[in-house]
Amino acid sequence: MVAPGLTGPPAPKPRWRGIALVVLWAAVGVGALLLLAKSVQNSGEFSRLQPWILLLNVVGVVALTVLLARKLTQLVRDYRAHVPGSRLTARTVAIFGALVVAPLLIVYLFSLQFLNRGIDSWFHVEVKQGLNDALVLSRAALDLRVREYSRHTENLAHSLANATAEDVAERVYEERRATAALEMAVYGSHERIVTAAMENPLESLPTRPPPDLVRQVGERRAYVSLEPQAGGEYLIRTAAPFSDSPARADDRYLVALYEVPTQLAALSEAVQHAYSQYGELAALREPLKSSFRLTLTLVLLLAMLAAIYGAIFSAQRLVRPVQDLIEGTRAVGKGDFGTRLPLPSRDEMGFLVHSFNDMTKRLRRAREEATRSQRVVERERERLAIILARLSTGVVVVDRELTVSIANQAAGAILGTDLSAATGRALPQLTAGNERLGQFVAALVVRFGAGREEWREQLDLDSASGRRTLMCACTPQPGADRGLGYVIVFDDITMLLQAQRDAAWGEVARRLAHEIKNPLTPIQLSAELMRRRFLSSMSPQDAEVLERGTRTIVQQVETMQQMVNAFSEYARAPEMRITRFSLNQLASEVADLYRSHDARVEIRLELDERIDAIEADRGRVRQILNNLVINALEALDGVATPRLEIATRFEQGAAPDAGYAVVTVCDNGPGFQRELLGRVFDPYVTSKPKGTGLGLAIVKKIVEEHGGRIDADNRPEGGARIRVVLPVTDSTRSAAGTRERRGELRREIV
Amino acid sequence: MLIAVALAVWGVDAHADALDGVLEVRSAYVSVEGGVFLLHARIEYPVSPAIRDALHDGVTLTVDLDTRIERERRFWFNSEVVELTLRRELDYHAVSDRYLVREVRSGSQKSFATLAEALSDLGTVEGWPVLIEPQLTAGHFRISVRAGVRRGRLPASLHALMFWTDDWHRVSEWYTWSLPD
Repeated sequence: MVAPGLTGPPAPKPRWRGIALVVLWAAVGVGALLLLAKSVQNSGEFSRLQPWILLLNVVGVVALTVLLARKLTQLVRDYRAHVPGSRLTARTVAIFGALVVAPLLIVYLFSLQFLNRGIDSWFHVEVKQGLNDALVLSRAALDLRVREYSRHTENLAHSLANATAEDVAERVYEERRATAALEMAVYGSHERIVTAAMENPLESLPTRPPPDLVRQVGERRAYVSLEPQAGGEYLIRTAAPFSDSPARADDRYLVALYEVPTQLAALSEAVQHAYSQYGELAALREPLKSSFRLTLTLVLLLAMLAAIYGAIFSAQRLVRPVQDLIEGTRAVGKGDFGTRLPLPSRDEMGFLVHSFNDMTKRLRRAREEATRSQRVVERERERLAIILARLSTGVVVVDRELTVSIANQAAGAILGTDLSAATGRALPQLTAGNERLGQFVAALVVRFGAGREEWREQLDLDSASGRRTLMCACTPQPGADRGLGYVIVFDDITMLLQAQRDAAWGEVARRLAHEIKNPLTPIQLSAELMRRRFLSSMSPQDAEVLERGTRTIVQQVETMQQMVNAFSEYARAPEMRITRFSLNQLASEVADLYRSHDARVEIRLELDERIDAIEADRGRVRQILNNLVINALEALDGVATPRLEIATRFEQGAAPDAGYAVVTVCDNGPGFQRELLGRVFDPYVTSKPKGTGLGLAIVKKIVEEHGGRIDADNRPEGGARIRVVLPVTDSTRSAAGTRERRGELRREIV
Repeated sequence: MLIAVALAVWGVDAHADALDGVLEVRSAYVSVEGGVFLLHARIEYPVSPAIRDALHDGVTLTVDLDTRIERERRFWFNSEVVELTLRRELDYHAVSDRYLVREVRSGSQKSFATLAEALSDLGTVEGWPVLIEPQLTAGHFRISVRAGVRRGRLPASLHALMFWTDDWHRVSEWYTWSLPD
């Protein structure tokens, strides 16, 4: 059963079929009864209906057998397939069947026995013998009369043979009166009445002699017969020829009709009736028994088949709600809360089914509510994920063992590792090969170890690629038990700090240039004036002193002016002239220039042919290269085999039209000091004895003005490496510059 | 159970020749006397030792002569004018050792010394009034006669049961002729 019929309103088909079946059977039963009643009333009608009655019964038995076979086959199949409810049905059918079949069989066998014995008892030997004896007795009694009347008739006929016609008539008349015969007549040839005497004088003619009488008397033999009459009377008809000899020509014969005495006739008739009845019944004995057997067997078969079929039908009707409940429970178990069972009736089973339907309805509502809540939570989570992904601030949620439950992209970018697959893993497991993350984890461990759960601090993370400064805040996860989870929010403020430093240095440089440059010219002019005025008028010794002093003043002022110019350059506002030129060619020019300048140093070039031309301020890019090469050459002082590499490489950006030119300048010098690595682009950060300390700061400034970026690190095999990334086209630079400005703005807000 | 039914049916078949023999209407005609149609017929009834024995055992044979007069219709079923049955009974009178032929409707009775004479009388129908002239309107008429033999005088209560096994029941073919216009 689908789950047939489980959902929706109950299917009407089985109910109609059941009603139709009941109506059909009722009609067949009533029809059979009517036929039976009709046939009992009228035997002629019965003969006509006989085949139909037989057919109806046989059809009934066959139909029931077929229906029952189908039901039983289905039941056995269900039982073997462990269909729910089949065992209960089988058990119910077995019990019902046993309860019905056993009494039926007992009644059947008892009835059969009773009928056989009852019918046999009707034909007891003594009864038969008694009837035969009575018959013999009756015959004997009647025979006595018959012989007596026959002998008398014969004697009279012989005595009349020689009498005259008048004597014959008189004698016949006298004899009839004497013997009380009903009639006495003498016939001649061709049944001609010679004379006749009647008891009833109104009757003129005697009854016509029967043919066998005429034939027998014609053969000169006496005739006698006992004739039963319709009213239970008996007549004795006797006849005798006047002459026994065929040789004589006398054809006359005497016929006499006598009535048997009423009492004897009645007794004989009673014997005849009993004999006839008994014979009739005796002839019916075997057919009667067969009929009873057949009828009983048919009735038994019909009753048994109907009972078993009814048992199966009832059991299935009883079990169907249970099957529905089982199917429904399974469906609910599989998560189908839309299951609705048809209400079988208004009884206890109906109440159970109603309760089940009510339960599934409540479950469905609860699940819908849960689904709705889950959807809301999912939506919130997605929103949070989107927000987290778009944040430039790193967010990591960990438990006390530092197992990551949430980490956004920015966190991975800041910590220099991919945390997208870190969910469920402990942070310490991810630190291998990542120095920055290792320091971050160490900082967390230290603070959690100290029992601090809520803090906000600045963390400096040093690595080979430089120092990063993070502003990190930790707070216990809201809503959770304290200590079970922490939300760590951190921001890379390296750039912000750098920008702040750059701005401060710019201001310093501008003020220095302004404050120092102004007095330098008067100092220089004053020194030169003093020299011109007093040099000629002074003694040679004094003149020499003055000469040395003023020269020193002028030299130092020039040096200071150079320094002030450098500061001025650093603080100068950008004023770029963007042109399109070949970066590779520029790099070659710079390399050639310094090869000729210092042949001791080996300068290698590795140029990427994919970089055709870039859009930038050619002079400033040349300054970048110059400064980098000068910086490297200065670092190579004292190196045995100084070597310098200038490499260009093309990098495709995220957008199809965004490309970057990467310029890398490496040397095999001592490299950057580790503690200075994060600040090599700050002004006055230098490990060299000479120089202004502004070279790399200016390079960084120019790179940033071009919308590029710069970083410095030490090569694993030794030596410093500086990498400059410049956008190839002006549009890419503008976009990058916009992003950079936005980033700065965000940081300022933070 | 089905075996029991099969045996019972087989038992019925075993007695199926009780009335074997010729049963037919040999001849039949009607005569008109004073506006009354009289039927005359000769019927041959079966004679066999089984019948004789049954009669001697007390069985009564009922013989029916069914007569049907119909008006013929060309495009529809014939309409029935008259349907009559002449019923007679034959039994053996053990006390007098004679065969009795009884007319059921009139109650008249004849006795015969032999079965042949009794059957001859039984098979002779002389002047049985079946129709009066006013019953015949315009049209063609058709007379059908059929003879039947069955075991008679069965207790009514046994009728319902006996049909399973009652082989004492025969009907002849219809003997049919048309009335002259």
